[in-house]
Amino acid sequence: MIVDRRSLMKAAAAAPLAALLPRIAAAQQGNINYWHHFTSETEFRGLERVMALFRTRYPNIRLTQENIPNPEYMSKVTTAVVSNSRPNAAMVVAERVNDMVAMGGLTDLTQRIAGWDRAASFPADRWRGATVRDKVYGVPAFTFVDWMYYRKDWFDEAGLAPPRTFEEFQAAAIRMTDPARNRFGFGLRGGAGGAAFVVDMFESFGSPIVVEGRMAIDKPKAVQALTFWSELMTRHRAVPPSAPNDGYRQIMEAFKIGQTAMVWHHTGSLTEIAAAMRAGQYATAPRPAGPAAHIARLTYLFNGIMNPANADAAWAWITFWADPDAAIAFLDATGYFPASPQTAADPRITGNPLYVAAVETTRFGRLPPAFVGAAGWFDNVVLPEFQKVLVGNATPTAAVDAMVRGLEAALR
Amino acid sequence: MTRIDDVVADRRGWRAMLGPLERVSEGRAWGYYLLLPSLFLVLAVVLYPTLWGMVLSFREMRLNRIDLGTGFVGLRHYADLIDDPIFWLSLKNTVIWVVGAVVGELALGLAAALVLNRELPGFKFLGVLVLLPWFLPNVVAGHMWALMLDPRLGVINDMLVNVGILDSYRAWFADPNAALFAVLMVEIWHGFPFFALLMLAGLKAIPADLYEAASIDGARAIQKFWFVTLPQLKMIIAATVILRVIGLVNSPDILLILTGGGPGRATQVLSLYAFIKANKEFNFGYASAISVVMFVLLMAFAYGYVKLSNAMKE
Repeated sequence: MIVDRRSLMKAAAAAPLAALLPRIAAAQQGNINYWHHFTSETEFRGLERVMALFRTRYPNIRLTQENIPNPEYMSKVTTAVVSNSRPNAAMVVAERVNDMVAMGGLTDLTQRIAGWDRAASFPADRWRGATVRDKVYGVPAFTFVDWMYYRKDWFDEAGLAPPRTFEEFQAAAIRMTDPARNRFGFGLRGGAGGAAFVVDMFESFGSPIVVEGRMAIDKPKAVQALTFWSELMTRHRAVPPSAPNDGYRQIMEAFKIGQTAMVWHHTGSLTEIAAAMRAGQYATAPRPAGPAAHIARLTYLFNGIMNPANADAAWAWITFWADPDAAIAFLDATGYFPASPQTAADPRITGNPLYVAAVETTRFGRLPPAFVGAAGWFDNVVLPEFQKVLVGNATPTAAVDAMVRGLEAALR
Repeated sequence: MTRIDDVVADRRGWRAMLGPLERVSEGRAWGYYLLLPSLFLVLAVVLYPTLWGMVLSFREMRLNRIDLGTGFVGLRHYADLIDDPIFWLSLKNTVIWVVGAVVGELALGLAAALVLNRELPGFKFLGVLVLLPWFLPNVVAGHMWALMLDPRLGVINDMLVNVGILDSYRAWFADPNAALFAVLMVEIWHGFPFFALLMLAGLKAIPADLYEAASIDGARAIQKFWFVTLPQLKMIIAATVILRVIGLVNSPDILLILTGGGPGRATQVLSLYAFIKANKEFNFGYASAISVVMFVLLMAFAYGYVKLSNAMKE
């Protein structure tokens, strides 16, 4: 056998690939379990499509999924970590990453991502939500872009354009309110999940929340923000009386049955709205700008690895979400934006007028605040204090004071 | 050898093998051996977690703050509880919640049992119907009532407006003055069959002679109830009340589904507060301290209540 320079070069090039072969083979087999908090029928349909594509690509990986209701998600994750009964992979939203990393619930993926060929297709900001102390713990799967739904038919009838500023928003909410017809201008979320909007208000009025791990709320601005937000109910009566207990389901139903003229949510609910309402009844718009900042969130949903066992198979699954086929299949079923800008430039998105607002929002939208203890502060302090203001049991000043004390305690 | 000889030989063989076991089974320790599997289970899944929970209440244990360590903090969590206004509010709400629910469920359950104790056609079927709410898991019952009391689509609001009790639909869970009352109604509906079932069993066990003797003495229906029925049910009432109080204090699920403790903590109870501290703030040390306080309060209640019941019996 003659060993020339060319064959030596080929052998040298093939050697690392040959070394990788067992690893690749290993990645293509094993049993993995995936935890998620998908809720709706459309989300499940989307997940099933992605899983079907994954099974075709990786026939030797047996993938099972387990749905954990979102309100109980962190309880289950905590229990799994404490009892060491973790799933292989799990869905992680940005505001939970810090807590999950702090409790040792997520595996550092920095090295794997560095060697992943698709990593470069995600801009740097896509990783920020899953990054803790320069280590990355999740791969972006899809994104929710905050926006506003409004009753286009009512706005047209009143000769109003969708509001671009908070002043216009407040005026429109008041104008659209007619309690005699059980019609209100805005579907305020004062129940579960309502704390995030309070924090959005603070930032819209120019108050930061946490800077370099320290409480940074600007009290006068926060009071101004909370006053503006709560007065939609307490002064202008422009929201349904049920607002202090209204969570996602209630605000969406109110909009769908014609009780409210505007509701703030994100792109994730478009399929539900579109299925329930006629074209022309509703439209989408970017959320209005506050006096100091234009706040709308880009919430990236990540998938992370929770269990070192079968990590290669879990890695194959969580990176599969970046595959264009998977992302488009999921978009088709759910309307959820792909996390990768390349896939988001698909004509099915850019050509749909309803998505114009989302595309615009991606230019100014920012990530939700993320710090250790955020989830607890949101749910245990911000929400109940905000509810107290809504039901007249506290002033905005007292509520902000309690929120500041709560945040200081959470960060201590 | 005959067939009978074979059988006798077989039996002798088994007896020889089981001989030591037979001897042990006749000894005094046999009862304890039989208890061992259950004892092991109780130790593993009840006593150990309970004791560990108590230990946690004296330690720092914040899952999302590993930097704080898990050191011994003595009574710090308990001292913090004393200064925590949310703890006291939750305690007050817990008392209202438990007393309201137990009184309502006991009254409704006893009334249902008295009615169902009559031998009338169709009452056996009615008895099964009455039990239906108890068969429903708390989560299902909670979501069902959330829809029925919904201020937009709820059938209860619709009925109340149609009969003229309300002028317009009411947001029951959004009003701090109505929220606890509304959740109590749901809980009473869900929990009264427990009392009805056990009261009915108790009523069936009361000898008819006692009622006949009371009738001969000229007792009216209300006197029979007061002097015969209630004293005969006293032990069942004591047991059911204790069991129900423990259940109500410990499980916040209906409250969690219907109000999440809101609005503005108007329906926050101790179990919900402990749950939130553990599962939202990941502060297991503080949550354990709340749970230990609940445990002590429940023990004190059970002890006092049994003492009182015995004193009344005597």
